[in-house]
Amino acid sequence: MKRGLFGIFTILAIVGCFAIASLAAEPIKLGALYNLTGGMSSIDAPALNGAKLKAKLINEAGGLLGGRMLEVIGINTKTDQKATAIGAKKALAMGVVAGLGYGDTTFVMASAPLFQRKGVPFVTSGATHPEIPKWVGDCMFMTPFGDDDQSFAIADYTYNKLKARKVVVWTDNSMDFTKALSKFFKQRFTELGGKLILEDFFMMGDKDFSAQIARLKAASPKADAVFISAIPNEAGLTVKQIREAGLTLPIVSGDGFDTELVTTVPGPRLANDVYFSTHTYREDTRPEVVAFIKAYEKEYGRPPENAFAPLGFDAVGLIADAIKRAGTTEKSALRKALAATRGYKAVTGEISYTRPSGVPMKAVSIIGVKNAKYKVLDTWFPKQ
Amino acid sequence: MMGWNRLKWFFPMLILAGAILVFILRSSVNDYILSIICFAGINIILAVSLNLTNGFTGLFSLGHPAFMAVGGYVAAILTFPVTRKAMLLPALPSWLAAQQWSLLPALILGGLCATLAAFLIGFPVLRLKGHYLAVATLGFLIILQVLITNLESFTRGPLGLNGLPLLTNLWWVYLWVVITIYVCWKVKHSSLGRSMLAIRENEMAAECLGIPLSRTRIMAFALGAFFAGVAGCLWAHLVTAITPTSFSVIMAFHLVVMVVVGGSGSITGATIAALMLTSVVEILSPLEENLGAYGISEIIISIGLLLILIYRPRGIFGTQEPAFLVKQRQRVSGEVGRSLSYQNGKGGTS
Repeated sequence: MKRGLFGIFTILAIVGCFAIASLAAEPIKLGALYNLTGGMSSIDAPALNGAKLKAKLINEAGGLLGGRMLEVIGINTKTDQKATAIGAKKALAMGVVAGLGYGDTTFVMASAPLFQRKGVPFVTSGATHPEIPKWVGDCMFMTPFGDDDQSFAIADYTYNKLKARKVVVWTDNSMDFTKALSKFFKQRFTELGGKLILEDFFMMGDKDFSAQIARLKAASPKADAVFISAIPNEAGLTVKQIREAGLTLPIVSGDGFDTELVTTVPGPRLANDVYFSTHTYREDTRPEVVAFIKAYEKEYGRPPENAFAPLGFDAVGLIADAIKRAGTTEKSALRKALAATRGYKAVTGEISYTRPSGVPMKAVSIIGVKNAKYKVLDTWFPKQ
Repeated sequence: MMGWNRLKWFFPMLILAGAILVFILRSSVNDYILSIICFAGINIILAVSLNLTNGFTGLFSLGHPAFMAVGGYVAAILTFPVTRKAMLLPALPSWLAAQQWSLLPALILGGLCATLAAFLIGFPVLRLKGHYLAVATLGFLIILQVLITNLESFTRGPLGLNGLPLLTNLWWVYLWVVITIYVCWKVKHSSLGRSMLAIRENEMAAECLGIPLSRTRIMAFALGAFFAGVAGCLWAHLVTAITPTSFSVIMAFHLVVMVVVGGSGSITGATIAALMLTSVVEILSPLEENLGAYGISEIIISIGLLLILIYRPRGIFGTQEPAFLVKQRQRVSGEVGRSLSYQNGKGGTS
């Protein structure tokens, strides 16, 4: 046991040394908490790449506050909530001026409250639940739009442009994100005067949708469109199977459909009449987007994997912009500057925090798929 | 007699030394290191209590995270501030919505609920052995996760409860580490513990000696579940969030690894393995961050585990405790246990 205790002391000493060594450094530090291994890594790893790229570009342009470098410290939290809480405390102990991270609400909620407790701002790059800022507090900022906005956008488009009046809604019942998306879609669509004629459910990982398709076919009155609340894996499969069953009605969805799988899985012949709302990024020609894609390809040798990469880029951009305006890295001044963000030209659209809810006012793109080609059909803006 | 006197003072001194250490740590190191130490402590509670079933009694259970989830959720609902309950859990029955307990009663009730759950599933499940038991407890874990996911008015479904009060501190963790180790130590060196070890070595022989099989097994299972429930509460109030996926199958495997590496049945072994595994991950994390090679710590740890299992297949300590901690009399009984396993053909070199 004595040897055991000695071991514990040694371990503590080593950990202590690391912590002290990291406190002594000079640059402006941002703690980037991401799940770089485990189930969430395909979403979070590109986001960290985007974040690091933005920091690099800022540093190449001379840094912030008169030449101080921006350092993004990537902390791997392994798709594990315990590691998430430890990671947040680690970032705070390192003296970061702000935190950023995560493409999923669960992990934001395990880390952001710890930043809130210390009064340090936390910017999520990809979590879209519209009530996150309400749950966490005034230090919480979102880079993406809320799920309500993207659902409202596609509901408006389905009703006004596609002239659909009767819809069927399919929901992935295993995730909160997909459930929320369906909830907001149904709410908006019925408010507009449309009718929900059938609801169906599936689970993440389902491969066969023939039962849902049979019910969709048999639905009476006939549906004008089907809303599918799914994440990328099921997005491609559902489109393929619905089209193979001979149904040609429009398929509509949210940013879960913002993936190559929607065209590659069904193939060019079947990938038709699919519409989804997403971040204003894919197929966009604004100068910010073009410059971002070029810089990303130059840095990593491949195009951005998904929309989470530009979102990570924008999260760092938002914080850097606020530091510039605040003229300091002091946490409460920085928090105020972030909250005062108006019309920040991000890659994924202009960001303003004008709502009391803390969710940014941000444009939503409506993308249509014709013969496996993506095209931006419309840009939707929230009313208030 | 000398040894006995020495031991009589050794344990209280150790507890006191630990308390002084806790005091010094709390006033000297930062939140990050404190939280790692807290998680290490929670892992000690989990590994030592899992040792009751997996180590002493030879019941291969993967259900420990399920009991943590029961304890964690019960305590989380009880300690959740009333105002936050009104905002996040509007569908909660009014008698529950008005509760706002402090940590200790919530911990104990959480632990008791986990014990109750262990009793309920213990009766049917403990008839199974070996792989079947492992699968059944795994099944229980998954059923419980689905239940929590769908019991939305109490648990908020997949989003889980977040913004719990940060009640767990190093004192609480230390207190429960001491209680857990003390209770498990006493059990191991009592007739109940010997019954457990006997059941592990040879069930039929144990039954022939008049050891009540199912009662002893359920005792081990339920006692382990109590501490798992308590650890779940401590965990939830340290992370300040709890979701259906907080306590996963992966966690079950991590805990089993701690027991196996430490030595099935060794309390000292489980304690040291828990400390080691928790701290090594954090020590290696700067390496990951500086190299940008995320995931390398998992690979290093896995290789380390393989090496331990190849060169010390019975774990660091086997079933034994280190010699200087054990009374002469107890050491003899350990020898008996070993010779029993030897006759059983399993053999052992520890």
